[in-house]
Amino acid sequence: MLVLNFLRYPKRLINELLIGDWLIIILSLVGIFYLFQSLWTNEHAARVQISVGNKIYATYSLNQQRDIHLHGKLGDAVISISQGKARFSQSPCNTQYCVHQGWLSHAGQVAICLPNQISLELLGERKLYDSLNY
Amino acid sequence: MRYLLLFFTFLLTGCFKEPLYHSQSYVFGTLVDISIYGETDERARLLANNILADFQNLHKQLHAWKPVSGNKLSELGELNAAISAGNRAVKVSPALANMLLDATDLSLKSNGLFNPAIGHLISTWGFQRDEFSAVNVNEAAIKNLLHAQPRMTDLVIKADAIYSTNPTVKLDLGGYAKGYALDIAASYLRKEQAKNALINIGGNVIALGKHGDKPWRVGIQHPRAPTAIATLDLADGWAIGTSGDYQRYFMLNGQRYCHIIDPRTGYPAQQTQSVTVLVPPQASNKTQAGVLSDVVSKPIFIETAANRNTAAQAFGIENFMVIDAQAAIFVSAKMVNKLHWVDAGVKFSTLP
Repeated sequence: MLVLNFLRYPKRLINELLIGDWLIIILSLVGIFYLFQSLWTNEHAARVQISVGNKIYATYSLNQQRDIHLHGKLGDAVISISQGKARFSQSPCNTQYCVHQGWLSHAGQVAICLPNQISLELLGERKLYDSLNY
Repeated sequence: MRYLLLFFTFLLTGCFKEPLYHSQSYVFGTLVDISIYGETDERARLLANNILADFQNLHKQLHAWKPVSGNKLSELGELNAAISAGNRAVKVSPALANMLLDATDLSLKSNGLFNPAIGHLISTWGFQRDEFSAVNVNEAAIKNLLHAQPRMTDLVIKADAIYSTNPTVKLDLGGYAKGYALDIAASYLRKEQAKNALINIGGNVIALGKHGDKPWRVGIQHPRAPTAIATLDLADGWAIGTSGDYQRYFMLNGQRYCHIIDPRTGYPAQQTQSVTVLVPPQASNKTQAGVLSDVVSKPIFIETAANRNTAAQAFGIENFMVIDAQAAIFVSAKMVNKLHWVDAGVKFSTLP
């Protein structure tokens, strides 16, 4: 109804808007712009794909809170998922490079534990590249 | 209405899976990632499995420090054992003899900075292990090995038998084998007439054909963050290699010691975080792109800032990028236009 009125009498409706209405409109626009910036252009990841050895072990949504317990070549490792991020939180390897990588949140990011042969890759709508030259 | 239907049909075909096969496995102590485009899943799997079997065989042939099955040494291991025992000549396969001839040639071109004869130095630093940890720096051992000067030219390679005039030579093809494997895989796929593939062996990548209607795109690892620093398109037959101080290293007293040893000092190179080289296809009678992508990054990594250009030019390499220990980025003039920075605000200098 409001939309139809607006299309028919745009001037009248704009004149009738109160300061609160304007605030809501402006805040919504800012909100949309912010969401567009952070969710669209930064390529936040939606899922994490975990591989153990030569096999893709599973793909999980990042939109949850959970620990995944895995058994690699050396022993037990834990990958944690929390609100759009994923990381190695425990690994039996000597160097702990995988754990030091910390939280990953962008599509295309990878963490690889070579000694334990477990890797995780964040997946999004678009892949930045086909393979990583690490 | 008809056009609308046609439109939706096109929309639907977009949902079907593209003919891309992807596999990853662990060989050479690193991750091997194979993508094949435009083949049926069955055929792509067969091709990838054959490539992986070749890689496993190479790994068994060239492993530098571990018996490969039971107590049996690799072919290279047998040669190393004979070299340290004395002057006994060892029969080797023509493939290994050719690799060593090629590696000797490349070592000379690099002024000895690429030196696969310094296996003893590498093991002194603890990097000839699957899982390494900080070692106490053994200065006496390093001094002795520097004095002994193990070099590729100490090898006498005759027909199919090899011996060394210097018993301190210990061959480690860690900076050669992955690139060689790329070339083997590329020539196998060409022979099988598979036109489109991307093969990545622990940071050495070769491209065949394209990914559909687009070129293959490769991400270059940021040396200090779990993300790509830049991406670039890899055209048919091109290879790219990155050497970094972040995949094999240990920290000792706040100092980083990486696996790339400067043969002049006997110590890990410390003025560089990573070097990426981009290599065009080579003539069939020359060292192939894969090997060059593996080898050439090492002398550039080790060289001082003033000599990096010369180190690259010695191999005819025009496209390279260096990130030094202070995280300053240097890109060769030719490479600048090929890179797409992930963070558009990144600062870099162009090398003349």
